Amino acid sequence: MNQPAPLPLVASLLDAPLPPSGIAWLDTARQENRAAFAAAGLPDTKVEAWKYTALRGLGQRSFANGDADAQTRAVDASALALPGVAGVRLVFVNGAFRADLSTLDALPDGLSLQPLSLALQGDAEPLRFALSRHYRDAGDAFAQVNAAIASDGVVLRVAAHARIEQPVQLVFAGAEAELAWHARNVIELGEGAELSLVEHYASRGDAAQLATLVSDIELRDGAQLHHVVLQDAAIGTNLIRRSSLHLHARAQATLHVLELGGALVRHDLRAELIGDDAQLHTRGVFMPHGRQHIDTQLAIRHQALNTTSTSHWRGVANDRARGVFRGAIVVAPGADGSDANLSNKNLLLSPSAEIDTKPELEIYADEVQAAHGATVGQLDERSLFYLRSRGIPLAEARALLTAAFCRAVLDDLPNAALREHLSGLLVAQLPT
Amino acid sequence: MNSMINDSSSATALRDNADVAEALGRTYSAGFITEIEMTGLPPGLDEGTIRALSAVKHEPEWMTEWRLEAYRHWLTMPKPDWAKLNIDPIDYQAISYYAAPKKQPKSLDEVDPALLETYEKLGVPLHERAALAGVAVDAVFDSVSVGTTFRKQLADAGVLFCSMSEAIREYPEIVQKYLGSVVPTGDNFFAALNSAVFSDGSFVFIPKGVRCPMELSTYFRINAQNTGQFERTLIVAEEGAHVSYLEGCTAPKRDENQLHAAVVELVALEKAQIKYSTVQNWYPGDENGVGGIYNFVTKRGDCRGDDSKICWTQVETGSAITWKYPSVVLRGDRSVGEFYSVALTHHFQQADTGTKMIHLGKHTKSKIVSKGISAGRSSNSYRGLVKMEKGAEGARNYTQCDSLLIGKKCGAHTFPYMEVKNPTAIVEHEATTSKISDDQMFYCRARGIPEEDAVSMIVDGFCKQVFRELPMEFAVEAKKLLEVSLEGAVG
Repeated sequence: MNQPAPLPLVASLLDAPLPPSGIAWLDTARQENRAAFAAAGLPDTKVEAWKYTALRGLGQRSFANGDADAQTRAVDASALALPGVAGVRLVFVNGAFRADLSTLDALPDGLSLQPLSLALQGDAEPLRFALSRHYRDAGDAFAQVNAAIASDGVVLRVAAHARIEQPVQLVFAGAEAELAWHARNVIELGEGAELSLVEHYASRGDAAQLATLVSDIELRDGAQLHHVVLQDAAIGTNLIRRSSLHLHARAQATLHVLELGGALVRHDLRAELIGDDAQLHTRGVFMPHGRQHIDTQLAIRHQALNTTSTSHWRGVANDRARGVFRGAIVVAPGADGSDANLSNKNLLLSPSAEIDTKPELEIYADEVQAAHGATVGQLDERSLFYLRSRGIPLAEARALLTAAFCRAVLDDLPNAALREHLSGLLVAQLPT
Repeated sequence: MNSMINDSSSATALRDNADVAEALGRTYSAGFITEIEMTGLPPGLDEGTIRALSAVKHEPEWMTEWRLEAYRHWLTMPKPDWAKLNIDPIDYQAISYYAAPKKQPKSLDEVDPALLETYEKLGVPLHERAALAGVAVDAVFDSVSVGTTFRKQLADAGVLFCSMSEAIREYPEIVQKYLGSVVPTGDNFFAALNSAVFSDGSFVFIPKGVRCPMELSTYFRINAQNTGQFERTLIVAEEGAHVSYLEGCTAPKRDENQLHAAVVELVALEKAQIKYSTVQNWYPGDENGVGGIYNFVTKRGDCRGDDSKICWTQVETGSAITWKYPSVVLRGDRSVGEFYSVALTHHFQQADTGTKMIHLGKHTKSKIVSKGISAGRSSNSYRGLVKMEKGAEGARNYTQCDSLLIGKKCGAHTFPYMEVKNPTAIVEHEATTSKISDDQMFYCRARGIPEEDAVSMIVDGFCKQVFRELPMEFAVEAKKLLEVSLEGAVG
């Protein structure tokens, strides 16, 4: 049978040379992941995980791989500063580590943080488990690409029982050129360690880019992570991320996600609660407008006793934009005492916008409390009436209520200065 | 060890086993086989089979062509594998596509006594009792309809109620107009197969402005071995017509799986209302998951006219595997779709069921209430779609899915899809999963209610919202069915 010619995107990604590493296991893993991608290509919408995100348009484009000029691209460092976040910062421009923009000189005790490119030059063995993974499922295309050609990213470790007071900021900036870049992050919090992490996607300019990121986050027994993700990439950025989170016994993770920018944005967040009494709390808001397409795929797996997860996500779609959300909760056999709760509320602001949401429950244990809810609709008429009856004009009342609707996901973010800033970004994104 | 003790304990064990066996035998009371002379087509499927089937039924040429077209399309379709079903491959060549009792009765009085007895045993009133029950029944035995009651009374009201085969011969213009208009021949794998080989089913036509004077009902019975039942039901309610239709089904206990792939099409024109209730009690297989019916059904209603309403109510306790999604296409403005479902699975049963509500018209409304109960090692999924298309101005949906788990080895799943393209539409979905709480059990037990009764009371309360929607006789039957199906689930 004649094989059809691969899509331009697939061809251009396969064209990229595998980064030389000099590490046999890593080279093997890269080759195998590339071979898997070459065989499978891009998923179509018949693959369940990509049902609402068609890659037809993106598939027709091709991107040069990586940026030879990454070290000299002009990036305004002051624009990367976030209120309430100061201190350690690691910056990547078009996927490459930029020492000049990063602040790594005064690392607190217990924190080890370096770019992957550097970490691989030293003892790579601790990274072997994460980096030798094979992605084989249907729909894993971009993870395969990332595993094959990503050569930089973040390697972050917090020693057991270390508490890092200042938030650590990771910045992934895209700049100017039309190209594809990739980043691979490995993050581990030792037993009882505590960390607050701010991840910021901040591309500028209208150049079309494709970025893939894969992150592995491991929380050992009793570790605590506060993680904030701010994604306000430029309108030309196609951003495809996958985060895998492992929570061991008594570990706790709190995640706040703002998805504001980008062209086609996809985030696969897979959390596994593998230790007893682990807790995960996710909060997020996605606000596509214009012709944006923002797709969040949240999958939470309860695998141990007395694990808890709560997820509150809000979506607001305007203009011709499309918001997609999947929130899947699995309670594995034997995960008794699991408590899982998920809600996804959405507002549609325009007749050409679309929201597709799919909360899922898959329960295989019986000592379980699980509930989910999802809504798509408009602002509450009674609330509007209340405000109007107090003399607030309709447009303003709408704006107030919509802002409150989005801001609700930030309520329990402890960093007040950051919360105010993020909340301001949300409001700025709303139609006036 | 004393051999006396050994003997007596093994005797006790034996008696216990006998008790258990008896209890199990009781659980599926419809599992008997009727000994009756049958005629039919040999197993196998090709164009010849379809021509032969069409010829046996004296069908017109257009019908044969319609079937062949569906068959050719079916050959090109891949077998679906998206549902989380644990299923051995089906050999479509090993199935006989037509089986019928040898003696074809001209009227109800000529029906073979063995057949009448069968329906009597199942509690379906075909004869004198029918008058008391006041429900018109079409009884389908394997591939053919063996009798339809109350035909005269219905005809007086202008209602056409007969078997599908008869309708194709007697009312070809109506059949041709509506058949396949809701579920096209190539809709899905099993609908295509059904379109090619469907044998019989019910046909209901309620003319303009008529309220059907009694409940209509079809009783499906699979009896013959190695057959599949492929019934096709078409219900058309013209402007302002009302009808309530009940469907029941059973099959004998056998060790091999049998296939049931039905298609049901409902058409509601302006201001018409159709209420379709099902109590599905096909043989579920034994406690080890051996045998049972594969129930792969396409049911869809089309609210074609403004202000029309279609309501699906189903109680699913039978079948080894159930795979069905009774749906409503809400085309007419202000049309209403409802779906009420109780699905109970036990032992190794697998149920994947739910609904689709496709909102096209303005101010359309839909309501979904689904109750899943899983026991034993069974798996029970709700899978649903609510779609608000661009034109669905002011449309409204409310969905509630609750699952109840009884035991540690079963699974309960919820997969709702919501697609909204209209900013004035409102979609709401809520789902919960839990087990019968210790508090509830303690409360009942403290009042002297035995454990099994307590469970059945709690389950009954859990399902009440759905049972309320069933016609009364059906609600009573459904309640009993749940009790029987849950036997042995606790303790």
